[in-house]
Amino acid sequence: MTTTRSALSASIDPAAEAVLDELILSMADDEFVIGFSDSEWTGIAPILEEDIAMSSLAQDELGHARALYELLAELRGAGQTADAIAYDREPADYRHARLLDHGRGDWAMTIARRYLYDTADGSRLEGLAKSSFAPLRELVDKIRREERYHVMHATTWLERLARHPGEPRDRLIASLEELAPDAATVFTPLDGEALLVETGLIAESMAALEARWRATITPLFVGLDLPMPPPGDLDGGRTTHGEPFRWLWGEFTSVRRSDPGAIW
Amino acid sequence: MTDQTPPDRDLDGTSDGDGRTLEPWEVFRREKDGDPMRHGGSVMAPDALLAVHYARELYGRRQESVALWVVRRADIHDLADPDLLQPPLDRSFKKPGGYVMRDKLAAARQQSGQAKPKARSGQPKRPTGPAGTADR
Amino acid sequence: MTDPLALDPVLAPQDRARLPFNEADLSHDERFGRFEEHVLAGGKVESTDWMPDEYRQGVLRFVEMHANSELMGVLPEREWIMRAPTLRRKLALTAKVQDEVGHAQLLYRLAEDLGKPREAMFDDLLAGKTKFHNVFHYPTYSWADVGIIAWLVDAAAIVAQQALRDSSYAPYARTMKKICWEESVHIMHGRDVVVTMVTGSAGQRAAIQEALDRWWGPLMQMHGPRSERAKDRDIHWRIKAKTSEELRQEFLTIYVPRIRELGLTIPDADLVLGDATGIWAYGEPDWNELRTVVTNHGPKSEERLAFRRDNRAATQWVRDTILGSPAASPTAAA
Repeated sequence: MTTTRSALSASIDPAAEAVLDELILSMADDEFVIGFSDSEWTGIAPILEEDIAMSSLAQDELGHARALYELLAELRGAGQTADAIAYDREPADYRHARLLDHGRGDWAMTIARRYLYDTADGSRLEGLAKSSFAPLRELVDKIRREERYHVMHATTWLERLARHPGEPRDRLIASLEELAPDAATVFTPLDGEALLVETGLIAESMAALEARWRATITPLFVGLDLPMPPPGDLDGGRTTHGEPFRWLWGEFTSVRRSDPGAIW
Repeated sequence: MTDQTPPDRDLDGTSDGDGRTLEPWEVFRREKDGDPMRHGGSVMAPDALLAVHYARELYGRRQESVALWVVRRADIHDLADPDLLQPPLDRSFKKPGGYVMRDKLAAARQQSGQAKPKARSGQPKRPTGPAGTADR
Repeated sequence: MTDPLALDPVLAPQDRARLPFNEADLSHDERFGRFEEHVLAGGKVESTDWMPDEYRQGVLRFVEMHANSELMGVLPEREWIMRAPTLRRKLALTAKVQDEVGHAQLLYRLAEDLGKPREAMFDDLLAGKTKFHNVFHYPTYSWADVGIIAWLVDAAAIVAQQALRDSSYAPYARTMKKICWEESVHIMHGRDVVVTMVTGSAGQRAAIQEALDRWWGPLMQMHGPRSERAKDRDIHWRIKAKTSEELRQEFLTIYVPRIRELGLTIPDADLVLGDATGIWAYGEPDWNELRTVVTNHGPKSEERLAFRRDNRAATQWVRDTILGSPAASPTAAA
């Protein structure tokens, strides 16, 4: 951690700063990793029109990641660029939710994951909508406006797959079941998160935000007769990453590692 | 395929946008405030909801439109009949070009001894208020 | 000016209508003649007009190859989306490839409106019955390839596409305007990648030169062998306006100076601009290579077609969902 504080961090309680850093990093990593997985569909999605739609969603996520990494870089004030934060870490140092560690999968897996993630992220963003940290509050406002389209798209497809008996519904349910143990990892508690709540940086604890998320998605799941992800063990939900992510890391760092320090 | 009249508008029997058939939806876009809606192209979709999603992607993902309309092609009624749109009898009295007065004006000026007035641009001057202030 | 009160004589529809060939009463030969007259005089054709078989098939073949090329062209680039070395490059490349898919959608839509269903076109492409452009049959080895392709392959393509903006087939002409506008962004992205690397590390500079060495041959072959304007049916019907050689010369005129100003060497010792003629002389492109490649015997042809076949099979269930859903009840507000 830096000993000097950036101009931006002057407005934050020093005790809370480390936890805020962890929060923003986790959000940025979430958007970065899901943006990567979804961008894999570019050029090979099931329908041409849907290919373009999924690519826009992925670009939105990457754009959110970029903005969050840039905010983090400014907050740290250590001269690191957003790209350096995004790319120049070992796999174990990434803080994205385990929900996003599953690899692209088929269309049902992608839709299931998008739905679970977008709704969970929605709850988190709502918890930040009135953050005492103005730059974050302003960024969250912009992100929420773009996310509306994401939730619309994910909901449309969730319903379409769930209502189609046979292979589509079966694949959807299989994906939801595979993702179930990790579904709530977006809400993995952060060390010291009580400080965030006390200082008004976030409205509620992760556990409270998780409860809101479950309340939001339950009516649709019940209506479509889909299995709700059970409450689970969120331990290490952001720190234990598996092989699919290590493969992804190998890919997205390959060009940078081929010529370290080069400008691209 | 032999020489033929254009393919039928309805690609197949049931084109009611209920999610059962992929059919073309025409997309209209407004580029900026005040512009008219202009035809942009078409997307294939099974219903209005996805047609709107796809229209946004093809014709709005770059912030290039401020509004879009999406219409099932099968719902569009068209007219291209030349008898109705380019009817043969004279209609010049409905257009400015149907009123040519050049010769008559020349005769009138000659008669009055007046020259042709200089061309003026824009609005006639408004009457001014007291102390010569122009009324906006 | 004629007396404004005079009445036009009552003419037969085919002599009065703007598009007389649409008159069903006329004989085939008469319709063909009127159609040809219309097109040769610069007239435009819409999807709902009558067309002679030769014209309809000519446009369809042209548009279909273009659409296929956009769809296959995605494959060499999409693996680099995963490896893009900065956030901005990743966004730019994702957006570029997305645009190519968008172009495929626009072009397949045009072809569909001419009567060929999308699935039939995919069948023919994947069975090797229809073709796609040579450049998309080659491998990519490094990020330098990404820059060279986005800059020079797209540039060669845009030279051809700009010449199509006045095509007699109006839907195609309109689509070309949209496509050219979108492609111009790609070229800027590509050039930015190349210039950044050329002014970067020694390794980056070397990678760009090496990529250029590999891509120059396919680029020179891309517009096709020289053909006689008088014998070209696509030019006769005004579907396209320029010959392959005209397009190649245009490409060289614009881009050779831009390549050389970066200190790059073009791997053709015979490439020289005639001072008096303004025409480029160049080493004869390998037309055998072109023929081999476009008949799907290029280095990556079969692998990419197989990839698309597998992908299509694996995603068929999703298309079936779209087509076979039971009637949906109104969606709950999100």
